[in-house]
Amino acid sequence: MKKISNVIVLIALAVSIVILGGCSKGQDSSSNVAGSKIVVTDMKGREISLAKPATKVVAITAADCEILYALGAGDTLVGRGEYCNYPEAVSEVIAVESGAETNIEQIIALEPQIVFMNTMAQDVETVEALENAGIQVAVSVASDIEGVYEAIALIGAVVGKDAEATKLVEQMKDQFSEISANANSEEEKTVYFEVSPLEYGLWTAGSNTYMDELSQMLGLKNIFADVEGWGEISQEQVLERNPDYIITIAAYMGEGMKPEEEIAQRSGWDKIAAVENERILNVNADIISRPGPRLTEAAQVIFDFIYKE
Amino acid sequence: MIKYRSQNLKPIAYLLLILSLLVVFFLCVCIGSVTIPIHNIVSIIVNLILNKPIPEGVAGMIILQVRIPRVLCVAFVGAALSICGAAMQGVLRNPLADGTTIGVSSGASLGAVLAIAFGFSIPGIENGGVVLMAMVFAFISLLFIIALAYKLDCTLSTNTIILIGIIFSMFVSSIISFIITFAGEKVKHIMFWTMGSLADSTYEKALTLFLLLMVFGTIILINAEELNAFAISEDNARNTGVDVKRVKLLMLISVAALIGVCVSIGGTIGFVGLVIPHMMRMITGPNHRKSLPVTLFMGAIFLMLADLLARVILKPLELPIGVVTSFVGSIVFVYIFYHARKR
Repeated sequence: MKKISNVIVLIALAVSIVILGGCSKGQDSSSNVAGSKIVVTDMKGREISLAKPATKVVAITAADCEILYALGAGDTLVGRGEYCNYPEAVSEVIAVESGAETNIEQIIALEPQIVFMNTMAQDVETVEALENAGIQVAVSVASDIEGVYEAIALIGAVVGKDAEATKLVEQMKDQFSEISANANSEEEKTVYFEVSPLEYGLWTAGSNTYMDELSQMLGLKNIFADVEGWGEISQEQVLERNPDYIITIAAYMGEGMKPEEEIAQRSGWDKIAAVENERILNVNADIISRPGPRLTEAAQVIFDFIYKE
Repeated sequence: MIKYRSQNLKPIAYLLLILSLLVVFFLCVCIGSVTIPIHNIVSIIVNLILNKPIPEGVAGMIILQVRIPRVLCVAFVGAALSICGAAMQGVLRNPLADGTTIGVSSGASLGAVLAIAFGFSIPGIENGGVVLMAMVFAFISLLFIIALAYKLDCTLSTNTIILIGIIFSMFVSSIISFIITFAGEKVKHIMFWTMGSLADSTYEKALTLFLLLMVFGTIILINAEELNAFAISEDNARNTGVDVKRVKLLMLISVAALIGVCVSIGGTIGFVGLVIPHMMRMITGPNHRKSLPVTLFMGAIFLMLADLLARVILKPLELPIGVVTSFVGSIVFVYIFYHARKR
């Protein structure tokens, strides 16, 4: 264990030298590089200052892990939330418990300079305990795609990858606007997002979700735009609203019916336009429900499904 | 003032119960998340009965494929849970006994979770493995809880058995969490399952519930007189010629089977089995020959109405039915507990 941490320290040192040497020109609105001191404001309006770019980072959410890797700062990770699974390399990082089970001791033992977390199940006490242990906490809570850009800028600033962050955001914006420009919405088609299958009660993504934003981008109308956020909705409503497309994020368990097949065989659903025309798509939940860089991938998958038949 | 009172419900009472059941059933089919004009619904149902083609359109789908199967399932679950509660309260002479309070529902959940985790199934019967395991585990946990309660406190007092039930439920939920940690791919499936839902009710499920309710509900009903004997004491029951062991076993098997099937189809729906038998005893008096049939009908009516509320109150959203029943049920629970203590 000691050996590993020595190695990590060595790597971290090496990385920090590289970062300090190579990257000091990127300037971001939320960061303020005075000499090598970094002052950033996180997404809860808390000010964080670091003497130098962070070299030892713990990221609790899967999205933040993905952002770190996308910025080329995956090697700063000394700990990750247990649900982080992308890219593959992240599995080699020590996993820490997250959510209500967030284990402060476990995080402190990893000696990070900063922890990225969201507000879902972390309470103020957790943050205070970490700060008392000399560990900075940055809150990243993206509730829309604009928020994802903000999170990328924040994380980029903390690990001294401002330029990369700006580039990543530009890339995402370009990809989105390209997809959006190609989405020829002559007549508005409707879409129903299924988050949880009928067996467990239907859950959908309403307005102010990434899925809703993606659908607007693709010229689709979310049939549950009148629902705020995520919600359990009535099966009757789906039948009545008769969506042209159904996008399910249910995971295929490797046995039994595939999510698309299960939807198609539900009694009474055979008259829904999407089922009649076999327009049901199963999208990997990880790419479409995480506020991370792969949202562009989700947009592309849906675009291909709708416009490249 | 001594008046002869019949031991059984009068035919007029049965008529009234059946009538109100039908009225509530029709009401619940007519009202839903999507508003469908009543004349459409009537014509759909009339055409269905006369075996004529159903008018095209989404209304027919909603009524026939979504609403009717759901209301049927809800009614059967309500009837089954209520009569189970009444039977348990009778056998255990414990006014607070119910599937959820003494931990039988948790036991059933554990059985179902194990069946999912280890892929236990019965060939040819969809979900047969889950239902059977839920029943078996409901029975085992019932035996376990009662045995432990006897060991601690021979009188099976109110508090002891409820306390054991709560501890048992916690114990079971820790085991379920443990299984979830090691279930790998099936984790999501189990997690969702434990949330339970009647949203995917089908005619097949309604039929399963109906058949089991017919068999085990009848067993409970025909033992009403024995339950009356139990109400005084087990010794009294024995002295009046009741085969105590046999009746007890029959009751526990029936209760376990019904709670098992309800839990495996609709998840844990709390407090129905507690509230309904109590309210009905207040009306009919303690005689099981009267209270049991009334409980059966009113359980169905109560749960249909609770489900109606869950379906429409936040439309187009839906509330889990357990939220409604637990809200009403816990208030009534406190009320009963308070009055039982004051006496």
